[in-house]
Amino acid sequence: MKPDVRAQILDLAATYPTPQAALLSALQMVQEAEGGRLTTEDLSDVARLLDVPLGTVYATVSYYTMLNLEPVGKYHLQLDTNISAKLVGALDLLAHIEQALGISAGETTPDGLFTLSTVEDLGACGTCPVLQVNDRYYEKMTAERFDELLTSLKQGVMPDWKTEGNWGTECNILLARRGKPDSTALAGYVADGGYQALEKALTLSPAEIVQMVKDSGLRGRGGAGFPAGVKWSFLPKGSTKPVYLVCNADEGEPGTFKDRQIMEFDPHLLLEGMAVSGYAVGAKQGYIYIRGEFAWIADILERAVAEAREAGKLGNNILGRGVEFDVRVVRGAGAYVCGEETALIESLEGKRGNPRLRPPYPAASGVFGCPTIVNNVETLACVPYIVLEGAEAFSQIGTPNNTGPKLFGVSGHVNKPGVYEFPLGVPLAKILEAAGGVVGNLKAVIVGGLSTQILTADECRDLTMDYDTCAEYGTGLGSGGIIVMNDTVEIPEIALRTIEFYAHESCGQCTPCRQGSTTIKQMLKRVVDGKGSSEDLENVLQLCKTIMGNTLCPMGDAFSMPIEAMLLKYRAEFDSLLPDGSLVR
Amino acid sequence: MSGHLTLDGVAYPFQSGQTVLEVARENGIKIPALCYHRKTGPAGRCRVCIVEVEGQAGLPTSCNLEAKDGMVVYTNTEAVLEVRRSVVNLLLANGEHNCLSCEQNGRCELQDAAYDLGIEIPAFTIIGPEVEIDDSSEMIVNDRRKCIQCGICVAACNNVVVNEVLGMGQRGFDSRIVCDLDVPMAESTCVQCGECVQLCPVGAFIEKKAIGQGRSWELETVDTTCPYCGVGCQLTLHVDTNANRIVRVTGREVVPNDGMLCVKGRFGYEFPSSPNRLTQPLIRKNGELEPVSWEEALDFTAERIKKIVEEHGPDVFSAFGSGRTTNESNYAISKFTRAVIKTNNVDHCART
Repeated sequence: MKPDVRAQILDLAATYPTPQAALLSALQMVQEAEGGRLTTEDLSDVARLLDVPLGTVYATVSYYTMLNLEPVGKYHLQLDTNISAKLVGALDLLAHIEQALGISAGETTPDGLFTLSTVEDLGACGTCPVLQVNDRYYEKMTAERFDELLTSLKQGVMPDWKTEGNWGTECNILLARRGKPDSTALAGYVADGGYQALEKALTLSPAEIVQMVKDSGLRGRGGAGFPAGVKWSFLPKGSTKPVYLVCNADEGEPGTFKDRQIMEFDPHLLLEGMAVSGYAVGAKQGYIYIRGEFAWIADILERAVAEAREAGKLGNNILGRGVEFDVRVVRGAGAYVCGEETALIESLEGKRGNPRLRPPYPAASGVFGCPTIVNNVETLACVPYIVLEGAEAFSQIGTPNNTGPKLFGVSGHVNKPGVYEFPLGVPLAKILEAAGGVVGNLKAVIVGGLSTQILTADECRDLTMDYDTCAEYGTGLGSGGIIVMNDTVEIPEIALRTIEFYAHESCGQCTPCRQGSTTIKQMLKRVVDGKGSSEDLENVLQLCKTIMGNTLCPMGDAFSMPIEAMLLKYRAEFDSLLPDGSLVR
Repeated sequence: MSGHLTLDGVAYPFQSGQTVLEVARENGIKIPALCYHRKTGPAGRCRVCIVEVEGQAGLPTSCNLEAKDGMVVYTNTEAVLEVRRSVVNLLLANGEHNCLSCEQNGRCELQDAAYDLGIEIPAFTIIGPEVEIDDSSEMIVNDRRKCIQCGICVAACNNVVVNEVLGMGQRGFDSRIVCDLDVPMAESTCVQCGECVQLCPVGAFIEKKAIGQGRSWELETVDTTCPYCGVGCQLTLHVDTNANRIVRVTGREVVPNDGMLCVKGRFGYEFPSSPNRLTQPLIRKNGELEPVSWEEALDFTAERIKKIVEEHGPDVFSAFGSGRTTNESNYAISKFTRAVIKTNNVDHCART
């Protein structure tokens, strides 16, 4: 191990209550320093350095897709083939890339220059197809653009292409600064009135802020929609342990690419939200756990944190008032499950991202066994507005019990896929209109990220987008990731791709998720390949029914609910794939 | 909070902190729980121990469900059985869960669960890649085809015996048990304590030497104390009485070892039936060891010791006790050395 890497790891480990918490970061650092791959020697070195058993190191390294135990080419090309990407031609692009490189996905060119992999959702659904090359995203890819990229890579140059996604805002809260030049800099944020909420917050008591957030009606934007202020009030009273505030920036739900809009273009909005929230819940340390693929966004956040610290907006004496709160950016390493809050906490502690058995809940025992609040990026970014403008003003936006602005990511068959900010309760039709309208004839919409139940064109015609209405319609607002499908889409293929994703991302801890997802995957594959039977379809339904609600974390629901809905609503399409004579009803 | 909870219509008392599963087991009510062991604690992984609780939505796992006063629990409703059947069927969907020549036959928790649920042929089949068996170790075979990913072995290795060898590698359906950095067990830091073997609820970790040597119901059990050192670990010998041979050893979950054993205690059990074992006293005469009577042997030894001590003083004598004898014998050795020979030269192999 290189001495400077070693020193960095030791420095990092010293800042945590347990050295193991630095494991994931250490593995990432070593991998980067050693040419993109971890050898047995590297793993042994890290194990010794952090005093972690070898078996635990292997368990951790082999869990995350971004840590490589096998050599990869100088350029690791990773193509997102998840549903949003598939809808806009990612598989055609894959065929083109395979042909251009002369290798199949999963292989490396003989000259060791390129490794090609297909990967799951990269959080760029609005700018698909997206190709990740090493730590950089190349969005809105086409065959022509790929050829251009390839020529450049062969000359040893990774081009610095900026891709602008579509966006729009009716609320001007979360995307208010989206179009501004250099919107990530502190000076611009302050000039636009930034950090005034923090000023105001420090004149209030923490309890007053908690009350404001409760009164605002702000519901968690990660997907569950649980009232944020109520979550905060679950912290145990009179605990002597430190409290941690964790920002969930693991955005990985297929169809979702909203949090990155805030982090990439207005990082100080998030940091101010965290500083205010940290003060409110009594935390001195905050973590932003960001998915590892968003490397450049993590860099932006780190620069923003440094700037904010320098300006006294973070640190041990915020605004000179003796309030202490600091933020550290922690990068994930490729695991969808880490978006689940207890899995995220495990990953933060340097372990496999296995969700924890509850109780205890994080508010009682989270990071390092201490009281912890985990909030989504968008949730925290709403907090400055609430504090500055008041709970009343916030609750005026949206509808009763569904208050505030919401980011909707629209992907798939629309003319202008992108992210759009509207008040909760906005008609789905209005969002689709903002997104340039549907390409072709609308067939179905998944309105809240892949884990929510699909709606037919008829069902969603009058849908308004808020938590309660979506529930009434038998689906969920979820993360607000809207995947639009026109009538060229075959639902059985979407169902298969859905379960392939969840089977790939299952942590494997509990039986129904680990075994069930793979069983359903194989059954649906048979059906899609024309080799299935009606018994397969009945078995899928029966499995969905028994898996729902019966897994260790919500992952089981996340695939059994959408698969069941697709099968029930589009049964005829599945049946039509069965070989003649096998249909026994 | 202690109190009473109702299990399938009968009220049972419980102590504060007990789980529903613990109360059920304490009272002889069978709830299958494949990933739970008292020593490794609730894991919530297998999802087989679900129950129905009046007034509570869903089917919580009883392994981590804290007993509450007045709680009304049903362990075998149709809703519970439907999910439980589905879960066990899923566990049986891949791998090699054939009982015919499995060492765990008759003491397998998966077999028990399938039996109780009336599952003869698994409802599903998952086609997976071939999974390798690790039989590199001298004493332990890890048959991953039989593994149900309960995680007990990993928890036991890391948190109970703290040998920190096993890990759960990869994820999802590809998850598998690995040693260290995924090396064969024989090349790993495993000390072959066999805790994984003892706690594995199925036949994924088995004793190599016991393969084919007798099934659980053919063996008689004898509880005894491990003879190897002074700790006094409690163990159970599983004996083939026809062949007069010990087939396997398990640790008893009592003081002082709580089921844990070392490689010697668990696997070094051949000596009682060894043909090399001494069965009568021998004295070397004219360079050859010859069988003699106990009287002759004791007289000879007493005479020689007496003579040597008379000629050279008591400090030329020293005695070593043995961990493989009883406390009483060791006490007698100490007393004899100090009081009869009058030297303090007495020691013991388990002194460290």
